[in-house]
Amino acid sequence: MPFLNFMKQRYFVKKIAVIITTPPFSNLTVTALNYIETALNTGVEIIGVFFYQDAVLNASSHIRLANDEYQTTQQWLKLHNKYQLPLHLCVTAAEKRGLTDCNSVQLIANSFTISGLGELVELNNKADTVVQF
Amino acid sequence: MINIANKSLAILNSKAPYGTTAGKDALDIALIFGSFEQDVSLFFQGDGVWQLINSQDGEIISVRDYLKTFSAFEFYDIENIYVNKTSLTERNLTNNFHIKEVQVLSQSEFSKKLTSHQTVLRF
Repeated sequence: MPFLNFMKQRYFVKKIAVIITTPPFSNLTVTALNYIETALNTGVEIIGVFFYQDAVLNASSHIRLANDEYQTTQQWLKLHNKYQLPLHLCVTAAEKRGLTDCNSVQLIANSFTISGLGELVELNNKADTVVQF
Repeated sequence: MINIANKSLAILNSKAPYGTTAGKDALDIALIFGSFEQDVSLFFQGDGVWQLINSQDGEIISVRDYLKTFSAFEFYDIENIYVNKTSLTERNLTNNFHIKEVQVLSQSEFSKKLTSHQTVLRF
């Protein structure tokens, strides 16, 4: 990828952290996913995605969206697998919405890491830019 | 563990206190950043200004009164609290706030202050 490296040096590619606040059935989440995918395809580094408020529902392994709708949950999984994109879940917001690290039933998709707001502090410090959706 | 680069964070509150949990969610972020000794400023505009108005009691309508926690800001070194004067005027509200050290700013001063921060989160 010599061309990409050249572009990186030429236009100082930033480190970006993303905060998602909307649920998987919101079109605003689709906008965020498109933004993140475009950034990653262009070689921009996304150091992490933090899920807060209703966005924690994106991590639920029991979400079933109608077949003819945009499959946000699958798209998160795809981006996580393809780019090792870190997906952080706010534990307090998750527990409030019935998502806990339960032993018997898997409620939270494997691609998500359970974190706290301290992770947001760290993401904010490491990133050049923080983008909220 | 935390790299103390200390970027400045602005939290913009634009929702009334009891209809949604937005105000509480914003407060939680402010307190965490405060406890990690990060530079946090709070901004209130639109219906968000209601969060600062004195003599409210959420308990009457069974909402845990998170506004009381605002009085703990000084212990978290959160000293920059700004409110949009136009938003107050539009709602016929006076500077009768339940915490001290609230700075009332004009529309232009408010936006100037807001954009001087490296990160802006809105709730």
